Amino acid sequence: MPGFDFSNYNRNAALHARGVPLPKATSTGTTIVGCIYDGGVVIAADTRATSGPIVADKNCEKLHYISPNIWCAGAGTAADTEFTTALISSQLELHSLSTGRKPRVVTCMTLLKQHLFRYQGYIGAYLVVAGVDPTGTHLFTVHAHGSTDKLPYVTMGSGSLAAMSVFETQWRPNLTQEDAVKLCSDAILSGIFNDLGSGSNVDVAIITKEKTTLKRNYIKPNERTQKLKSYKFARGTTNVLNEKIIHKADLGNFVTVEEISVTGPGDKMEVDA
Amino acid sequence: MADRYSFSLTTFSPSGKLVQIEYALNAVNQGVTALGIKATNGIVLATEKKSSSPLADPSSLSKISLITPNIGMVYSGMGPDYRVLVDRARKVSHTNYKRIYNEYPPTRILVQDVAREVQEATQSGGVRPYGVSLLIAGWDEGILPEEEDTSKTSTDDGEQKKPSGKTGGILKGGPMLYQVDPSGSYFPWKATAIGKSATTAKTFLEKRYTEGLELEDAVHIALLTLKETIEGEMTGDTIEIGIVGPPADHLLGVEGVEGAKGPRFRKLTPQEIEDYLTNL
Amino acid sequence: MSSPFSINGGACVAMVGKDCVAIACDLRLGLQALTVSNNFPKVFQYGEHVFLGLTGLATDVATVSDLFRYKVNMYRLREERAIAPRTFANLVSSSLYERRFGPYFVSPVVAGLDPKTGEPFICGFDSIGCIDFAKDFIVSGTASDQLFGMCESLWEPNLPAEDLFETISQALLNAVDRDALSGWGAHVYIIEKDKVTKRLLKGRQD
Repeated sequence: MPGFDFSNYNRNAALHARGVPLPKATSTGTTIVGCIYDGGVVIAADTRATSGPIVADKNCEKLHYISPNIWCAGAGTAADTEFTTALISSQLELHSLSTGRKPRVVTCMTLLKQHLFRYQGYIGAYLVVAGVDPTGTHLFTVHAHGSTDKLPYVTMGSGSLAAMSVFETQWRPNLTQEDAVKLCSDAILSGIFNDLGSGSNVDVAIITKEKTTLKRNYIKPNERTQKLKSYKFARGTTNVLNEKIIHKADLGNFVTVEEISVTGPGDKMEVDA
Repeated sequence: MADRYSFSLTTFSPSGKLVQIEYALNAVNQGVTALGIKATNGIVLATEKKSSSPLADPSSLSKISLITPNIGMVYSGMGPDYRVLVDRARKVSHTNYKRIYNEYPPTRILVQDVAREVQEATQSGGVRPYGVSLLIAGWDEGILPEEEDTSKTSTDDGEQKKPSGKTGGILKGGPMLYQVDPSGSYFPWKATAIGKSATTAKTFLEKRYTEGLELEDAVHIALLTLKETIEGEMTGDTIEIGIVGPPADHLLGVEGVEGAKGPRFRKLTPQEIEDYLTNL
Repeated sequence: MSSPFSINGGACVAMVGKDCVAIACDLRLGLQALTVSNNFPKVFQYGEHVFLGLTGLATDVATVSDLFRYKVNMYRLREERAIAPRTFANLVSSSLYERRFGPYFVSPVVAGLDPKTGEPFICGFDSIGCIDFAKDFIVSGTASDQLFGMCESLWEPNLPAEDLFETISQALLNAVDRDALSGWGAHVYIIEKDKVTKRLLKGRQD
């Protein structure tokens, strides 16, 4: 990353000092979980994004691609989880290309924690990192300040307590893939229904040595019922003062690159011998 | 302080030539031949993998490289210079493009970025020009040549033809093949060759190339051309082939991701090359 | 002092219809309770089928709209093609995130049609570039709470262009009537494959 641009910082800090509140960022209130099983690892997330008490996005994606065999679930400031995982994914891809090896989960986790530690918690990304690499199956959590944990089952986000209660009552060693998926999705459902910051659907990613299977909206327990009546307005309801129709041919009133025919008027420009 | 005495090594001769660049081209023209052929549905890049000693381990040697999932590159000239350019090309495709637009650069944009790097080496202090020519092959999303005709007739049926703002260039999707030289200049090709036997190979390609070539035919012609110029024997271990073809979804490694497509660029395995050779 | 997002006021909404998209904004520019202008559009066009709505601090709306004008023009010159809405959305996102620790006080909305497939595309952002990809509608501005309510009840899938116009117009007009900081007329763009219709709406002037 070339780095952040702080040129608005002083202006915004001056405003803040005069009592202007900081902007509301979209946060993923979130329940995210991960669980190792025999033969791979499963991570899962809910799909609600919030801005204060408002549900900003009812079906957002919190499972982030790092590499085919490594995926991240993100909680905290949505923009931070999105861009931090994209940055590390990019770095890992270049690293993998130049070493000619598959990326490792520890490498990913280390890059993430070093990046987040450098920013002292100001980058609000709370992540579950999971993957399978030539050294085995791995599951980590990374906190915004740069600390990491390595555990067989993990939960994060505002719904982490609800989700952990499911793991602590139902987890057992040597799970099968089906068991792990069920356990993870149950943990997310517990977050969806008991935590206000989490909601909507369950996304699941199953990572094995061979491949990763993303099950987007694996469970949809909160489908909106069809409206019984239509609130369509009759055409002409709205009072229009002025109308302008721009047809496609006239849309070129911007900077337009046009090819000039060689046979056109004027001499051809001498460019090169 | 050091940079104050760091002058460009590439300076004009009284006759107006930049002899350092010509020397760099000489280095390229001593290099192992590499060639590229564009087909309607893909591109083939091919070169000889020459080892100086029978003791060398050829499996660790690689001359054709993946830059982005849809773009590959081969060179003729100095191997170490090439490796630097491969690293740079991969890096700029992320820093100048993917981290901004969340998509990989189209072939021409990448070619321009690489060409800029190469050009800077002809004008900067303390460096020498790169001693390589590159062939860069890629596939661009966009309007494919065959789709273009249909889209034209459907939009241009109005009475007068207004400029649509569309041009050739990058809007045209499909296979793209470029050559980059040590001077930093670049050229688009249907088929070309660089290196020691470039002239012979190009004459051969001129005879063999036809419009509307399929990828399989292109691989075939690539091998025949290589055969004309090669010194040693042709086997899966002495030939390297990279193809830009249909998306290789089996190389994707993920399932259920909306819109995910496998890489179009891939290198053929020695076994795949052997199969082509037996059918030659 | 109030939040920079509610000093000048303003509202913006985008909706998906059948083979078309709509984007609309109010026209008010204010300084807290004082209305300065009733002709301050917040929707900007960046290509045949690419539109950006910007609400928030007016000075940043002007700066950011010009910044993207520059960036999109550079893209066109460099790549010899118009930018696609999805690509533009990612450009907006990365440009905003670059200022993660000194953001522009804007809430952008992108609406457009994919130049190749003609597929509708809309999305919204927070001020630091997190994208909200929506299949139905996006709202932003001081009337966003009201707009959420209006859109959630009025929007339905596969509305033809004419019906989409009524829906988005009524959603916006009725939302801004319950927001003191927005209103004073509106601009509505209906974007279809072969034409773009821009309409000026009559709104309350209080």
